[in-house]
Amino acid sequence: MIWAMLQRFGFLLVFGAFFGLFAAWNPVFLQGGNLLNVIEGSAVLMIIALGMTLIVATGGIDLSVGIALDFGAAFAVVAMKSYGMDWFGATCAGLIGGSVVGIFNAILVIGLRISPFLATLSTFFIGSSVQRIFTNGGGPISHRRMPEEFRNLALGDIYGVPTEAVIATVLVVVYFLILERSIWGRRIHAMGMQRSAAIVAGIQVNRILIMCFIAASVTCAVGGLIAAANIRMFTPLSGFSYLLDAIAAVFIGAALNARGRPSVLGTVAGVLFLSIVANGLNLMGLNFNTKDALQGIILVSALALAVAQQRARHNFAS
Amino acid sequence: MQTKSVRHRGTRELAGYLPLIIFAGVLVYISVNAPNFLTLRNLELILMQSLPVVLVCAGLGVVVMAGGDDVVSGGIDLSIPATAVLSAGIAAVMLTQGWPLAVCGIAAFIACMIVGLLNAALVTRIGMTPLLTTLAMFVAVVGVNNVITSSRRINVDHPFIVALRAQDVLGIPLGIAVVAAVVAVIYFATHKTRWGLHLQAAGGGRDAAEISGLPVRRLLGQSFVLAAFTGFICGFFVLARGSGSSPGVQDNLMLEMVLATFLGAAFSARRVVTMWGAVLGAVLVAAISIGFKSMGVNVFWTGLIKGSLIVVVVAFSALAQRGR
Repeated sequence: MIWAMLQRFGFLLVFGAFFGLFAAWNPVFLQGGNLLNVIEGSAVLMIIALGMTLIVATGGIDLSVGIALDFGAAFAVVAMKSYGMDWFGATCAGLIGGSVVGIFNAILVIGLRISPFLATLSTFFIGSSVQRIFTNGGGPISHRRMPEEFRNLALGDIYGVPTEAVIATVLVVVYFLILERSIWGRRIHAMGMQRSAAIVAGIQVNRILIMCFIAASVTCAVGGLIAAANIRMFTPLSGFSYLLDAIAAVFIGAALNARGRPSVLGTVAGVLFLSIVANGLNLMGLNFNTKDALQGIILVSALALAVAQQRARHNFAS
Repeated sequence: MQTKSVRHRGTRELAGYLPLIIFAGVLVYISVNAPNFLTLRNLELILMQSLPVVLVCAGLGVVVMAGGDDVVSGGIDLSIPATAVLSAGIAAVMLTQGWPLAVCGIAAFIACMIVGLLNAALVTRIGMTPLLTTLAMFVAVVGVNNVITSSRRINVDHPFIVALRAQDVLGIPLGIAVVAAVVAVIYFATHKTRWGLHLQAAGGGRDAAEISGLPVRRLLGQSFVLAAFTGFICGFFVLARGSGSSPGVQDNLMLEMVLATFLGAAFSARRVVTMWGAVLGAVLVAAISIGFKSMGVNVFWTGLIKGSLIVVVVAFSALAQRGR
């Protein structure tokens, strides 16, 4: 009985234990302002992880999400700074910048039949190099006099809710409806689970893959827009830092999912877990290196626990 | 009819050699444009530079052999570079505190074995996918190493480390000799022994190997431990190459390792990851990086060149595969 409960709610219990620990350590953790901070601070990671969820659901992986983020930020900042575009033009430019990365990935994966891992790895190499060439070595491009509307992507609020949290929430809802509640989502999951069966069933695998790669990188570019608006500049190669967290969030989510599939709600849970742990460790006032190490160890343990729980559930059911 | 099929086989075989031909072409282009490139001194320099990558590639090669070459669901160990940096970090800190080399070596060895055993346990006992396990392990191990070294650069001038970089044995640099010996032993173990054939069978067709009674999970676990061992040795070469341990080495090492190992697959007849392919890939990648540098090409371009190389080589080998 207790064992069965553990299998079902083990991860939740650990999550609760961390929550309690952080709250006991520093009362600030539980204050509304701080929790709102956590959600606001996790918006960009949430957006990147959504893009990653889509690609992992097709059965691949995308190592170039950071490049899509960088390109989104770069195109938007340059559009405003060099071409004097307003916020709407800049946003469109950023999204187009992101789609360039997706189209490139799609050409490599579908046109040249390179596996997604190697294809997106080379996109990562090439994209990083392009940024260093373009910025003459990796210096940031700052744009202090950004249009107010563009700045509001990160700093504004809609009825008191930070804009970036609103954008992330809207994207979560859109992704949820498409991936979990529509015929396209069924097709994507079908090709992710059994590619050959999906082809036999008449699913246009290549067309779906192309759309997914473009959609994922455009989504990541939205994250880039927010990041650029937040610090009023484009910092080359800054997207890389989100890659590992995004992959971890998707796989924690997949392990929590009843069928072991990447899912939008699972990813949301994964992102919130990672962000809350990071925030809580910050508030404990630990040394920077210690905090990093603890975060890594918690990541490994959380993944192991989530997967073990999933396996146990399967054995229990069968 | 017959001549046609023969000719077809000819073009196919040619397509199979294309990756090597492309590399040869690039190297010829470099040596024409950079006159000093083909000197013995420079070739030795290239080999010395590539040693850490060669070692981690050999380790990754074993894991891929045991787990299968599907990157997402098969065998892969991204944590080897982190293990190498951990080994380097522990050795550097303890050497500067005045411990004898043997003690430092044992401490680093134990730490690396813990990482390898953890990888093995998480993958074979709990059933996590290797990609996920080792990626998370990479983050954790780098974090632990940053605590050990306080993210500082630590200079090491211990005679042994200096010897790895600068001493010759019978006219061959000591470092190259050691790495060659390690790679030869791993090659012998994986290709010429019963254990090695079992390992390859496990990766080649997991279900078939399981049905014929091979301990597939144990073999995969052993490959992770062996990979951690190459990381342990690599740590000392990281110290030798950089005259000490510096933070951030692992990122580049990881990218080069993956690049070299999977490029190496394009050199093998069956397009699978092999020990020699991985080693050759590591040396060629180092040769091309150094070559373009000595041609005076801006370093900002190296990522672009490496990325394009993956695309060209892997695309051609996929093309040759399709022709079959």
